[in-house]
Amino acid sequence: MPVFKTPFNGYSVRFSPFYESRLAVATAQNFGILGNGRVHVVDLAPTGPVINELVAFDTADGVYDVAWSESHDSVLVAAIADGSIKVYDTALPPQSNPVRSLKEHAREVHGLDYNPTRRDSFLSASWDDSVKLWTLDRPASLRTFREHAYCVYSVAWNPKHADVFASASGDCTVRIWDVREPGSTMIIPGHEHEILSCDWNKYDECLIATASVDKSIKIWDVRNYRVPVSVLNGHGYAVRKIKFSPHRRNLLVSCSYDMTVCLWDFMVEDALVGRYDHHTEFAVGVDLSVLVDGLMASTGWDELVYVWQQGMDPRAS
Amino acid sequence: MATTQSPSPNSNDDKPQAVSAELVQQANQVQQDVRPEATKQSVPASVFVNSEPIREDQVSNAVKFLSHPKVRGSPVIYRRSFLEKKGLTKEEIDEAFQRVPDPSPSSQPASLSQDGQANSLSSVQTQAPIQTPQPLPAAPTGIVSSGTVARRQFQWYHAVSAVGLLAASGCGTALLIKKVIIPKLKLWVRKVVLEEDNDYAKKIDAKPSLAEEAAAAAKAAAAAASDVAKASQEMLNSKNEERRRFEEFMNLMDAQVQEMKSMSNSIRKLEGQASSSGRAFSDHDDHRASASSTKQSYANGNVDVNVQPGRSFTLPASAEPPHPKSFMEKMEMIQRGEKPSNIREVNDMPPNPNQQLSNRLITPRTKPWEAQNGPRQVLQSQTSAEGLNQNGVDSGLNYMVDDESSTPWWQRKNVRITEIENEDEVKAAGSYGVKTNEQPSVQRTWVPPQPPPVAMPEAAEAIRRPKSAPKETAMQEQLADEQSAAHPSEVTDELQRITKMSESAGAVEMNGGFLTGNSTVIQEQENSYEGN
Repeated sequence: MPVFKTPFNGYSVRFSPFYESRLAVATAQNFGILGNGRVHVVDLAPTGPVINELVAFDTADGVYDVAWSESHDSVLVAAIADGSIKVYDTALPPQSNPVRSLKEHAREVHGLDYNPTRRDSFLSASWDDSVKLWTLDRPASLRTFREHAYCVYSVAWNPKHADVFASASGDCTVRIWDVREPGSTMIIPGHEHEILSCDWNKYDECLIATASVDKSIKIWDVRNYRVPVSVLNGHGYAVRKIKFSPHRRNLLVSCSYDMTVCLWDFMVEDALVGRYDHHTEFAVGVDLSVLVDGLMASTGWDELVYVWQQGMDPRAS
Repeated sequence: MATTQSPSPNSNDDKPQAVSAELVQQANQVQQDVRPEATKQSVPASVFVNSEPIREDQVSNAVKFLSHPKVRGSPVIYRRSFLEKKGLTKEEIDEAFQRVPDPSPSSQPASLSQDGQANSLSSVQTQAPIQTPQPLPAAPTGIVSSGTVARRQFQWYHAVSAVGLLAASGCGTALLIKKVIIPKLKLWVRKVVLEEDNDYAKKIDAKPSLAEEAAAAAKAAAAAASDVAKASQEMLNSKNEERRRFEEFMNLMDAQVQEMKSMSNSIRKLEGQASSSGRAFSDHDDHRASASSTKQSYANGNVDVNVQPGRSFTLPASAEPPHPKSFMEKMEMIQRGEKPSNIREVNDMPPNPNQQLSNRLITPRTKPWEAQNGPRQVLQSQTSAEGLNQNGVDSGLNYMVDDESSTPWWQRKNVRITEIENEDEVKAAGSYGVKTNEQPSVQRTWVPPQPPPVAMPEAAEAIRRPKSAPKETAMQEQLADEQSAAHPSEVTDELQRITKMSESAGAVEMNGGFLTGNSTVIQEQENSYEGN
């Protein structure tokens, strides 16, 4: 399985929704505390387990997250620690990039998500407690959602309803929003500690999973959100990111500060179905490919990006 | 039920708000009133709205919480956050805010909390027939003034001192009541009795009236005593209530105290030891403080020396993950004010902010979860010659067609075909069976049918090599006689038949492309014919 070494500490990895072999990696220098950042666009070589870098973009501050456009195959957006969002077009020469710099957030932008159904807009989650809605053709945000009492770490669009999204925050709540409404439509006080990530189930649009500093992942049904559908324990430290599988209804993947990437089936009694401990530092980014079933990628503070097929050892060559 | 929404909690945030957001909020105020009703056309959206009725017990608890003077001193956003964490819905929180007069955080809460205190004590004052002791309102004012000072800094020791002051004031008022009211009562009773005696000595026939008066006085005294008892009982009750509320608040404070203790411990550890034994986080309160103290960007490593770069999450002290050693070194270096040497000046601003995005090469594909239910989108891959990534595009899509034997390593074990657009891949990967480690599940994906068998190998060859084959035949025509003219038309007929069959299989584009390619070449052929 191929490995890609980044010069800076990895923060996020995302598969392209257009090209099976393409990924974007967000990295930040000095663990993201202080320093530059870099966005890598890499390709998996079809012949052998090799990852080649297609292009890299340097940024003044660390890059915390990256998201591919769902409408343009060559466009990606990056969340920068100085509060700006940079838009890159890999089809243009590197000296023409970035094509846009959207600076509105007052603090670090920590999460991005592109709308997979409407494909025209994306959301940014920031440590200034707000979530902003953007489109690529406008220089200013369309909406600002400000209700959380603390940093918003992650946003996720609902895979079926193009107007609904969820945000996970350090105020220990997850809020469900509808862009047609001025405020949040639902507040789920999911955990006793900060909630770092949330994601919707792709096959059941009422199920949402939340990952928290309390080392657990909880699955909620928004129709009855007082009690979680399932609680997944098994990580040794805070769970940093979760993602539901685009191909399997019950599968989700998570990465944690315990340096492992875990695979869960939440409908099964013994939910942990896979554990990969290939990273030697915090595993902070994980993604599942929408185009290739079972293909997954992860990155961590050990400056490595692994891409492997589910069931195989990421470190196998 | 129509709930009246109060936008004040949101708009009274200390943080700057986007003007657009405020405008939207005001504009949608009407919408928000309609929202709780089931008047939405789209049924699915209503799933994401909380449709529980308002729970009275939760609202009354929230009202008690919000009425507390300490709570009134805190910013609105923290009050809402506390209630949200307790599990109250938005409607319940808004209802609680409605019931409790909601002061703006900038105005002095002294007057309002004084009103609150006065309200709780007014019952005592009205009951006591004697004049209200002057110290009574003075004591709550004293407490309130200490409260206004304390509200700025929620320090635990301020809270303790406030508790002590309240307890002392409660005891003081009880003592005052005992000392002032009861002696006055006694005096009054004695006066009445003395009067009775005097009157009795003078007027004997006034005896029954005296007796009546004495009885009335006794009754009045008893009533006064019972009123005093009631008042003191109420005082005790209110004190108990306050104590209860305070306990709740003290629990909150305790939690904060714990966190602050752990924070101070970790800071001490950080400061004390340069080596790796003390691994700790800088608390999120620190980087919040840093945010409010300076909003300088961290770009290019420019940072205020005093700012603590606390870009970390809070963790319970017992569950801190071990940080990499170099992380701790970097943190310490930055806290000392040194800038790590590997940072360089990067200009990441767009060279042309109005740069047009490139034309997209691929139309978006349907997602696997949409493919189950929704309509199927046809993929059009235009092999345009523009763009730097032409190689990337080709290798990403067309390698399958060119070389059927080499499949990418990540496809080898994976055979779940989910997109109809990848028919080329089907041809190449069709030999693989179902994924071995796959759990048995419902067949969710559409497997395209096998392409039709090749009717005429020549025609298939002709399709594959559109430019070369007809040209060769054209050359032959020129040399041969008219009968060979039948060949190209046969070829074209076969081509058309085969392309029609392939069309039914669904792969329009590829063959369509070939077909158009063929037709142009055939036309050339005919032109050259006519030229002959």
